[in-house]
Amino acid sequence: MASRTDNRILLRKFLLIALLMFGFAWALVPLYRVICEVTGINQLVKAGDAPEENPVAGVPVTLDFDATVQPGLPWQVVPLVRRVEGRTGEFIRVDYEITNRSDRRVIGQAVPRYLPAAAGPHVQKLDCFCFKEQAFEPGETRRFPVVFVVDKALPSEIGRITLAYSVFSLPGREP
Amino acid sequence: MATVEDSAHLPHDAHGKPGGWARWVYATNHKDIGTLYLWFAFAMFISGGVMALAIRAELFMPGLQFWQPELFNQLTTLHGLVMVFGAIMPAFTGLANWMLPLMIGAPDMAFARMNNWSFWLLPPAALLLMLSFWVPGGAAAAGWTLYAPLSTQGGMGMDLTIFAIHILGVSSVMGAINIVVTVLNLRAPGMGLMQMPMFAWASLITAYLIIAVMPVLAGVVTMVLTDRHFGTHFFNAAGGGDPVMYQHIFWFFGHPEVYIMALPAFGIVSQVIPTFARKPLFGYASMVYATASIAILSFMVWAHHMFTTGMPATAQLFFMYATMLIAVPTGVKVFNWVATMWEGSMTFETPMLFAIGFVMLFTIGGLSGVILSVAAVDVQLQDSYYVVAHFHYVLVAGALFSLFAAVYYWFPKMTGKMYSEGLGKLHFWWSLLWFNVTFFPMHFLGLAGMPRRIPDYALQFTDFNAISSVGAMMFGLGQLIFFYNMVRSIRHGKEAPQLPWEGANTLEWKIPTPAPYHSFVEAPELKAGDNGVILSMQGGEHH
Repeated sequence: MASRTDNRILLRKFLLIALLMFGFAWALVPLYRVICEVTGINQLVKAGDAPEENPVAGVPVTLDFDATVQPGLPWQVVPLVRRVEGRTGEFIRVDYEITNRSDRRVIGQAVPRYLPAAAGPHVQKLDCFCFKEQAFEPGETRRFPVVFVVDKALPSEIGRITLAYSVFSLPGREP
Repeated sequence: MATVEDSAHLPHDAHGKPGGWARWVYATNHKDIGTLYLWFAFAMFISGGVMALAIRAELFMPGLQFWQPELFNQLTTLHGLVMVFGAIMPAFTGLANWMLPLMIGAPDMAFARMNNWSFWLLPPAALLLMLSFWVPGGAAAAGWTLYAPLSTQGGMGMDLTIFAIHILGVSSVMGAINIVVTVLNLRAPGMGLMQMPMFAWASLITAYLIIAVMPVLAGVVTMVLTDRHFGTHFFNAAGGGDPVMYQHIFWFFGHPEVYIMALPAFGIVSQVIPTFARKPLFGYASMVYATASIAILSFMVWAHHMFTTGMPATAQLFFMYATMLIAVPTGVKVFNWVATMWEGSMTFETPMLFAIGFVMLFTIGGLSGVILSVAAVDVQLQDSYYVVAHFHYVLVAGALFSLFAAVYYWFPKMTGKMYSEGLGKLHFWWSLLWFNVTFFPMHFLGLAGMPRRIPDYALQFTDFNAISSVGAMMFGLGQLIFFYNMVRSIRHGKEAPQLPWEGANTLEWKIPTPAPYHSFVEAPELKAGDNGVILSMQGGEHH
């Protein structure tokens, strides 16, 4: 049979257990981290998936930049760099400067071409003014970046690629 | 000599009870506190039920009829919190308060004043939860699981909810310690642990679970609180934290919590079925061990709530098999209940009806649980209405039906009156029918892909939702039968005999009806068999 002290001793024991379990909740935080680290459960990027130390390990490739405007159109398109010595797998950025030489507001769309044409599928553009129509105020000049990667699947016989833009007006779209 | 803390040396008149409001506010008598718990739980059951009906009203047809999605989410969240922490848990604690001392021959609960505090912490917590509907931003809307990062955002309704959970946690831990100390220290001579009624065993093991996991819940919501206001990043990935860690800590609490709401139900049914089958409980020892093993296993299965968080396959397999393992001790229990009824001379009074309804419907809910435990299936059914159907089968037809069984079973002992058997039976058949109309179609909705916690749904789910909503309204209406039966019977019911149930043979039926205000002031000398069956009793004084 139990006395008052027995009851109190049990009470203290269980209060202590309750406090310990409260502490255990907080201990789960570092524990969770350690378990995840040791087992690698929470590593979303595995060792084999890590990006290569030197992402630019591709083969050299020469890139020429050009632009043409159909006769009679008001555009002037100039690549600010004519030639880049790059490597496959490397991010390459060049800027184009486009001017509207007329006194009207015009809307144009640039269309890229590749020489040789077989190189086309291997030029992966991340950003280009050719992705959408561009509106120009009379006499306005703007610079546009082109960012791309020549992927490593580029056939080895292609050592030189020319990227040429033609700009067309979209007369029906003018306001 | 068994003693009760505090009340033993109070300068009270051993024969009288204080009158008016003081009797309830200063209550230290386990029967008064049990009564308070039960009425509080009923009030919360009605509040949570009204929220459920608001949810079902919105889901009666597609489109937004009554509530904006924000309020709908608040309703689902508060419905869950109120039912779990306000209705089911306090109801079981209240029953334990009322019946445990009577069943094991104790004069009262071990810590009578702490008992008072355990109860009176509940109304402020409930008030915080209810008030949160009216603060800017409304109540918590992250679901009752309060997953980060949803819970680390949102308005002050979430803060009120966190404080409410803290208070409810303190209350239930104190209540649980009281139960453990009472059972371990205050049993009458001759009432050994392995003679205790299953309800006492279930309450004891449940109390251990509460002491072990409620502090973990308090810890994790405190982390949410510090993430919200004190610049920590426990669950904020941008600050180096991990929202998935919230789920791990929460479900470390949350899965044992499931059994906190189920084990006392097993205990009740294990008292009711032998009484009305007029046979001893089949496999008493295996019942005790099954209850204990369910409790232990419940700590090893938490991640089955998280199969879609991107666990490695090994972990999924571990939690899947561990979960399936729980079906074994649970199956033992179901088998034992059925075996107890086998060739018994059964009668079907209301408590027995609810107990049999429990066994059948809880088994359906258990089996859909086994289906959900299969990781490959769960990935498909996660967060669908199939899950909603599953846990309402175990919580409504499980916990709630067992509570109805308990209230009808012990009503004569508590009040000295008989309830109306006709209304009781009507309440059972009404609840059984409309419960199934409400929740069975949800299996189909879930299998067809309807997600839970949405205020609006695709057109093809309309029919089953309409059926389910009608069922819910009727089920809710039926609970008024229960309320009316209780109130009317307390006032005008027939006087109950000391032994209203022919087959009842545990200790609480050996004392006068209604139970004297101070029972077992002097401990009786008992000779007890399995499941608390009293073979002989000597002494034992009441006032």
